[in-house]
Amino acid sequence: MYFVGVDIGSTMTKVVIISQADEILSRVIGPTGAEHRRLANEVMAQALTQAGLLFEQISYVVATGYGRFNVPFADRQITELSCHAKGVSSLFPSVRTAIDIGGQDAKGLKIKDGNLVDFVMNNKCAAGTGRFLEVIAAALGLKVEDLGDISSRSTNRVTISNTCTIFARQEVVARLSEGVRLEDVVAGLHDAIASRVAGMARKLKIEPDVILTGGVAKNIGVVKAMEENLGQRVFVPEEPLLTGAVGAAMLGKDFALKALAEGELVQKERRLEEVTFYK
Amino acid sequence: MVEKKAKGLARAKESYQDPSYRVKQLKAKGKKIIGYLCIYPPLEMMTALDLVPYRLFGDIREPITQADSCLPTCVCPFLRSTLDLGLKGKYDFLDGVVMAHACEVGEKLAHIWRTYLTPPYSFYIDTPHTKHEAALEYHRKLLVDFKKSLESYTGKELSADKLEQAIRGWNQQRALVRELYEMKKPDPPLISGVETLQVMKALMTIPPEEGNELLREVISEVKERKDGPKKGTRLLIWGSIIDDVALIEMMEESGANVVMDDTCVGSRPFFPDVEMTTDPLDDLARRYLLDLKCPRTFEVAVFGETKKNYMADLEARFSYVRDYAKEWNVKGVILYGLRYCDIHGYEVPQIKDYFDSVGLPSIYLEHDYSEAALAPLRTRVQAFLEVLR
Repeated sequence: MYFVGVDIGSTMTKVVIISQADEILSRVIGPTGAEHRRLANEVMAQALTQAGLLFEQISYVVATGYGRFNVPFADRQITELSCHAKGVSSLFPSVRTAIDIGGQDAKGLKIKDGNLVDFVMNNKCAAGTGRFLEVIAAALGLKVEDLGDISSRSTNRVTISNTCTIFARQEVVARLSEGVRLEDVVAGLHDAIASRVAGMARKLKIEPDVILTGGVAKNIGVVKAMEENLGQRVFVPEEPLLTGAVGAAMLGKDFALKALAEGELVQKERRLEEVTFYK
Repeated sequence: MVEKKAKGLARAKESYQDPSYRVKQLKAKGKKIIGYLCIYPPLEMMTALDLVPYRLFGDIREPITQADSCLPTCVCPFLRSTLDLGLKGKYDFLDGVVMAHACEVGEKLAHIWRTYLTPPYSFYIDTPHTKHEAALEYHRKLLVDFKKSLESYTGKELSADKLEQAIRGWNQQRALVRELYEMKKPDPPLISGVETLQVMKALMTIPPEEGNELLREVISEVKERKDGPKKGTRLLIWGSIIDDVALIEMMEESGANVVMDDTCVGSRPFFPDVEMTTDPLDDLARRYLLDLKCPRTFEVAVFGETKKNYMADLEARFSYVRDYAKEWNVKGVILYGLRYCDIHGYEVPQIKDYFDSVGLPSIYLEHDYSEAALAPLRTRVQAFLEVLR
């Protein structure tokens, strides 16, 4: 039996296929975008090709992420909070606190015995999310994926306000025009995002081990700043974008096997079709 | 105007959708309609003189466009919205307003309202925020002032007899509301959270005897019905004002049943009776200051013990909500705060500590009082329901 997790985030769409033995058979990451978002079925098709499987061989599909209700071929929708918790604890059983920083939100998860027990999410504001870094990288003509390396050269980090993306952008421009070195400004940005998200996550009463996931976890500067802010080691998975999709696939497996044991696993009529949108 | 024929839940829904319909009819017959904010103005004193109290609400579906010219944007969006409706003329049918020092914004709004809207009658009750003996004495004196003001406005005497009679009428309504909430104890409950809110809001916009009639209709209707709510995850919601069904509807559509609340268009203003002794003004002063439970009142006596024993302090402040949770058999608690609602905001970390200590899962949701802002809360609610399953 094979199980699929589809995680449609604000920026990236992730698909993972696992076997009954929890082996990851394929993992595909594609942009969600405005138009690309229609193409979740193509990301799905790529994942099937990678695994050498046909869609008909899939037993259960769980969709998660903010686009979870747009996946017509899913058997069930589960929030990204439950999926991240499941994915993280399957990869790192010792994790008690997970912090996920995605393209448009940040969340803190408290995990106990492999289950989500509490969580916090950011309010509707770009500060403290991946968008914060994207906006400022674009203003500086930098690639967001280069920010981590740039900040690692910093020797004298400046403080950038963590309350508003637009204000931070103005501050960055002002610091640079005062002659502050780029790496010190970028390191300041990483500290701004880390301190904001850490402040939010602290409401959960953080317990070790702590893991950082989501696209922003690929930025080594933010990881270091998060360790400084929390005063403890922060782990990062090998592929921090995929924990939600992995968790979705695993929760799908749990549902399918339970239904099978109870003799209630009904293969849903479904076709691999384009993503649908809310009316 | 055509008399409405609907009964029970249908009548409550109609009233919810057009809250001023009934008072406008009454006004046409010569009644005086007095708008009030919050749950602290003693309604008994108004109805004893044949005035019709009408609770002022905001509208989460109406963008705030005028209030920002006279209230800062960093304060309670519910009160900003209410003032906005006033400035747009939607409360022009009122003959007067009575406002209390419920919270800081409520206090300032009372004066701003009078400045910009100049109602024919207005009174402001400077309700104390602590529960000392001196505060109680002061509160009683304020009610004496309120009595004099009402007497001079109506030209009638507010006798002890009239007041006691009014208290008995409202106590009857309180008993009926508690009876209605009993209908929420079975699983599934006999009445949904959305329907309950419609009834509670309706009660605040019609005279008490009509409210009592409505409650009797609803109670007998839900006892008999076959189309009640389906089973769902039983939730309690504690927090700031909820005067629109959208939030509760979203929760119930996601598989929850909101079976109990501690909010001010819910159980909060109705659960405590006015205990009647020899002096009705004493009784009202005590009930409205000591017996109403709202975080706007600082529990000073208990605070004295806080440093010695934090858990005992929490127990004294919040055990009544835990009792609700037990009696209504809820699986989780939603802590709901309007953005900038400082009085609830101060309590959230501590009430959360309390629920953690008694092993009841809870989650804090912050809403900025607009319908559009509900979408991000949906994911939080759904995730919380997944945690509870």
